[in-house]
Amino acid sequence: MSKADEVFLKVEDLEVIYTSGKKNVQAVNKVSFELKKGQTIALVGETGAGKTTIAKSILRILPNPPAKMLGGRITLEGRELTSLSEEEMLDIRGGKIAMIFQDPMTALNPLMTVGDQIVEGLLLHNDYDKDAAENRAKEMLELVGIPKDRFVEYPYQFSGGMKQRVVIAMALACNPLLLLADEPTTALDVTIQAQVLDLIRNLKEKYNTSMILITHDLGVVAETSDTVAVVYAGEIIEYADKRELFINPCHPYTNGLFGSLPGMTEGESRLKPIAGSPPDPTDLPKGCAFAPRCPYVMDECIESKPDMKEISPGHFCRCIKAGKEI
Amino acid sequence: MPLLEVKNLKKYFKVASGINHAVDDISFSVEKGETLGVVGESGCGKSTLGRTIIHLQEATDGNVILNGEDITHVHGKKLKEVREKMQIIFQDPYSSLNPRIRIEGTIEEPLRHSGKFKSKAELKEETNRLMELVGIDERLRNAYPHELDGGRRQRVGIARALALNPEFIVCDEPVSALDVSIQAQVLNLLMDLQDSTKVSYMFVTHDLSVVKHISDNICVMYLGQLVEKASTEELFRNTLHPYTKALLSAIPSVDINNPMKRLELKGEITSPIDPGPGCRFAARCPFATSKCKEPQKLREISKGHFVSCCRIEEIN
Repeated sequence: MSKADEVFLKVEDLEVIYTSGKKNVQAVNKVSFELKKGQTIALVGETGAGKTTIAKSILRILPNPPAKMLGGRITLEGRELTSLSEEEMLDIRGGKIAMIFQDPMTALNPLMTVGDQIVEGLLLHNDYDKDAAENRAKEMLELVGIPKDRFVEYPYQFSGGMKQRVVIAMALACNPLLLLADEPTTALDVTIQAQVLDLIRNLKEKYNTSMILITHDLGVVAETSDTVAVVYAGEIIEYADKRELFINPCHPYTNGLFGSLPGMTEGESRLKPIAGSPPDPTDLPKGCAFAPRCPYVMDECIESKPDMKEISPGHFCRCIKAGKEI
Repeated sequence: MPLLEVKNLKKYFKVASGINHAVDDISFSVEKGETLGVVGESGCGKSTLGRTIIHLQEATDGNVILNGEDITHVHGKKLKEVREKMQIIFQDPYSSLNPRIRIEGTIEEPLRHSGKFKSKAELKEETNRLMELVGIDERLRNAYPHELDGGRRQRVGIARALALNPEFIVCDEPVSALDVSIQAQVLNLLMDLQDSTKVSYMFVTHDLSVVKHISDNICVMYLGQLVEKASTEELFRNTLHPYTKALLSAIPSVDINNPMKRLELKGEITSPIDPGPGCRFAARCPFATSKCKEPQKLREISKGHFVSCCRIEEIN
C-alpha cells in the first residue's frame, strides 16, 4: 500500500520550557522527527533529557504553568494538533492518540474497578451503549491476558505486571492510531517485561498502530523499534534506522551509552562510562550541550552549536566530527 | 576459611494471612575480596537476605558466620563491632540519605560513632580522604543531598559504607536507580575500591548484565529459595535451572544481529506466604511434571555448580 509510506506524525521544531522561579528550564529545544504509519520510533536518553516532555506535548497535557510550548508544529495525519481547540483535543486524547504511562501503580484510579476505567474511555470516544462498552472492555482484558471475570476487581488486587497490562488494555481499547509508551516496562521485572513487550508488539502488528516508545533501555529499543532518536539535553543528537544506529553509532554520546552497558564489552572488565553528568537545563552550554562531557571536544564545539548533518541516507547526527574519523 | 558463611538461613515474617517465607533455608559462602551476585525478581527475598545477614533483622533460623565466628544472635557491644565489619549500600540514593544533614555530616557520622577519631581535625582529614576515594568534590562538603544528582548521592552512600573499613558490604541494587552512563561510573568505582581494599561484596540486583559484569559467583533466588548457584562463567555458559534460563533469555538483547530465543514464562511470581512443599517455580515452569510437587534438593551437578531441580537431566 502506498499509504504505508506516508508521513503520519510530524513534529517540527518543538520547543518547550518550564518556568521555575526566575529560571527557565530548557526542556525541549527544536526537536523534529517524523513517524510513518505502523512504525515505532524510540526516544532514548537519560533522566531529564526531555523525552516525556516531547510525548506530553504531542498530547498537550503538559501543565501550563510551569510548562510552556514556545514554538513548533505537531501534525497528525495532516491536521495540526497545536492549533486545535481544547474540545477537539479531548476527542483526540484517548481516541486517536493514547498514552501508556511509566508507573502502573499510579496510572490507575484506585477507587474504580479496572473494568469501569476501561469502559470510561470507550464511552467517551465511541457510540457504544454501556453493555457494548463492557463487552469491548472484557474483550480487551482477555486480549492482554487477564481473565474477563476480573473486570470487577480494583487495581490493588492486581500485581504490577497485570496493572501495566490493564493500562495497555485501556490505551488500546479505542484502537488509537498513535500510541505513546512512556517507559512501559521500566517498573517491571525482566520476565514480566518480556511478556509485556511481546504483547505490545503483537497488538501493534494486529492493529497497525504507530508508536513512540520512550525508554532508556537500549535492549528494549533493539527489540521493539524501527527508528531511534537519541535525546540529550532536550535535543535530538542522533537519528537513524535502528540497525544503522546500533551498528554504526556516530555521536560520542551514543557511543558512550553503548560503552556504559555491562555485557557489551565482552571480556573487558572495566566499563567505559561517560564522564560527568548531564548539563544543568537552566543553564545549557552555548555550544554543543554534550561538549563538557565529550572526550573529543574541540574549541568549535564550545563556541557554536553543531547542525544536524546527514552522514549517510537517513542517518542524522548533531556533531562537528560526525562522519569523520575520530 | 571463607570470610562469610551463611548456613541454612531462614527469615520468616508473620503476616495476617500466614507466614511469609521471605528467606527459606539459604546457604553460601563468600571469600575475601570476592563478589557474590544475588539475582531474582522483586519479592524473591534477595533484599531480606542481605538485611538479615548484616543483622538489620534478626534471623528466624540458621547461622551467619563471619571470620569463623557465629554472629547470628549477637547483641550490644558485640553487635556494634560486627556492624563495623559489615555495611550496606542502599538502593535508592534519594531516600537513604538524611535530607537535613550535609554531605560532610553523613560521611562523618559512622566515624564519630566508632570513637576512633578523637579530634575534629582527624575527623575532617578522614572525611576528606573518603570523599576523594569515591570521587566527590571537596566543594560539595557542605551541600545537602537535594543539591546532588543521583550518581553523586550514591557515591556519598558508598563513602558512608566504606567509612569504617568494612570487610563485607551488602550492595542492595546500588545502581538500579541510576542512568546507564552514571551506573557505569558507580560500577567502576565499586570494582576499583574492591581492588584496593579487598572488601567483599554481596551484590543484590535484578539486572543480570550488571551481575555478570561484577560478580565472581552468582546465586539465583526464587521465592525465598536458591534455585541455582555457580561461578559466573559457569552459570552463563552452562545454565541449568529453567528459571535461570527464562531469566537470562528475558533480557532484551542489544545485539541486534543475534536476538535471543526466548523461554517465555506464563504468569507471575506466586505468593511466598505458606508455600507448599514442592518446587516453588513449578506453577510457571514449562517443564513441570508431577515429580515437581515433591520437595526439591539443591544438588551439586558439577564442582561448585548447584541446582535445585529434579528434571535438569531430562531438560538439558
